[in-house]
Amino acid sequence: MDASAEQKYNLKVVRWFVVMSAIYLLVGTLAGTYIASELAWPFLNFDIPYITFGRLRPLHTNAVIFAFGGCILMAASYYTVQRTCGTRLWSDKLAWFVFWGWNLIIVAAVITLPLGINQSKEYAELEWPIDIAIAVVWLVYMFNFIMTMVIRKSSHIYVSNWFFLGMMVMITYLHVVNSLAVPVSLTKSYSLFAGVQDAMIQWWWGHNAVGFYLTAGFLGIMYYFVPKQAGRPVYSYRLSVIHFWALMFGYVWLGAHHLQYTALPDWTGSLGAAVSIAMIIPSWGGAVNGMMTLSGAWDKLRTDYVLRFLIMSLAFYAMSTFEGPIMSIKTVNALSHYTDWTVGHVHSGALGWVAMVGIGALYHMMKHTFHVEMWSTKLINAHFWTATIGTVIYIVAMWVSGIMQGLMWRAYDEYGTLAYTFAESVEAMHPYYAMRAIGGMIFVVGVLLMVFNVLMTVRKSASEGSVQKARTATVTA
Amino acid sequence: MSKLKEYFYTDWEAMTASDWVGMILTVVVFLLMVALYFYVLRPKNREKLEKQRFIPMDED
Repeated sequence: MDASAEQKYNLKVVRWFVVMSAIYLLVGTLAGTYIASELAWPFLNFDIPYITFGRLRPLHTNAVIFAFGGCILMAASYYTVQRTCGTRLWSDKLAWFVFWGWNLIIVAAVITLPLGINQSKEYAELEWPIDIAIAVVWLVYMFNFIMTMVIRKSSHIYVSNWFFLGMMVMITYLHVVNSLAVPVSLTKSYSLFAGVQDAMIQWWWGHNAVGFYLTAGFLGIMYYFVPKQAGRPVYSYRLSVIHFWALMFGYVWLGAHHLQYTALPDWTGSLGAAVSIAMIIPSWGGAVNGMMTLSGAWDKLRTDYVLRFLIMSLAFYAMSTFEGPIMSIKTVNALSHYTDWTVGHVHSGALGWVAMVGIGALYHMMKHTFHVEMWSTKLINAHFWTATIGTVIYIVAMWVSGIMQGLMWRAYDEYGTLAYTFAESVEAMHPYYAMRAIGGMIFVVGVLLMVFNVLMTVRKSASEGSVQKARTATVTA
Repeated sequence: MSKLKEYFYTDWEAMTASDWVGMILTVVVFLLMVALYFYVLRPKNREKLEKQRFIPMDED
């Protein structure tokens, strides 16, 4: 029991964020699995507009990225900044404002997206009043984080906090600029940008949401929770400093690689691809740094199931940060773009990296904020294997179908006409769409186990009174 | 060689104020990155930086 931490820090808000992130991961992956099933078996639309693919897909992405991702990032950043700075959050009230504000935004998304209220900007679908609410809550979140660092007891700011802060600063201006719009009613607005500029702004946001929210933010998680769970300091602090600055400098250039062979000037796509290739170096430096933290203690993976999640996530991080730059090269992009290969790539990052490192941190924080062991270690192990197997099935299905799609679309016969109709390529996809849905279902089974385990652990903590005991225990200096 | 020269040809007269601001900012940030690499990888600074990796271990 970590009584001193319970008395010194605000762990209550962290506990709430942790439990909500588990629930949102279930909601988000269930929505994803349902829409994947709709693509394989379209009758699942039931001709109800609210549950068609177009309405539920943004709900799925918003639920996993902003609901699960947001809650686990807020939990981890508020937990980490307190522990590494040796001080309580600057303001408990602001922390609770962020918790309730963020959750109300998620409720607003769940209501508006199935109704078709949508800005039609990928990963930024929510309409302007919700965009303003996001900006306000996000700024309060960042302000409280910065002020906690200002009143810190330590002289140095640990590197995980740099990554969290980098994410906060960049997402603020990415979100604000990309969401600039002219409202025509409470539920409808039009982007301030038009044509190719709108596309460029959209993908400047889109790729940097990946780069700063799903990468930098989750690297902040990795740099604290991998050493902590392994019980060993990070392999190289100098490498982590280089990793941070190279990531901050490099990522902002990449958005244009989403727009190869479009009206965007050719050189911008080439520049985006060139910097993408260069980004392999810091990304792999970071992945190696995380993995080598286990140097001399690899045996821990045999018994520590939480550590397995964290290390497996680094393997997927290395894989997807190699695959992405390769896909940005024009010759590869000519085959891969608009195909399911992109969907496979995104999910190797989302399921393999983001979800797994988030889940590892979630289990770690459950134990250290509720002051009890997880209700079932066997369920954590079962979750690890279902998550890994589900992810692999998903991405293999999408790789195969994506490459097949690309090859079918570009195949010509001896007369120079297309060898396949589009409908024929859709028909060829069916087995892989079914396989993808099954992979997703396996992943969801693991998430269900996790939510059950989390809720049982909360119950166990309540029945043992572990939080209350930690609050009242006598702490010796 | 002439093709390479052509590739890197820049019409400086056509540079707008935004182009200049963007270019100068990029070059300055790039130079700062080079300076950072030099600082971080300098053997003299190794001890100073590497001792920070124990922060999560020492907090308890």
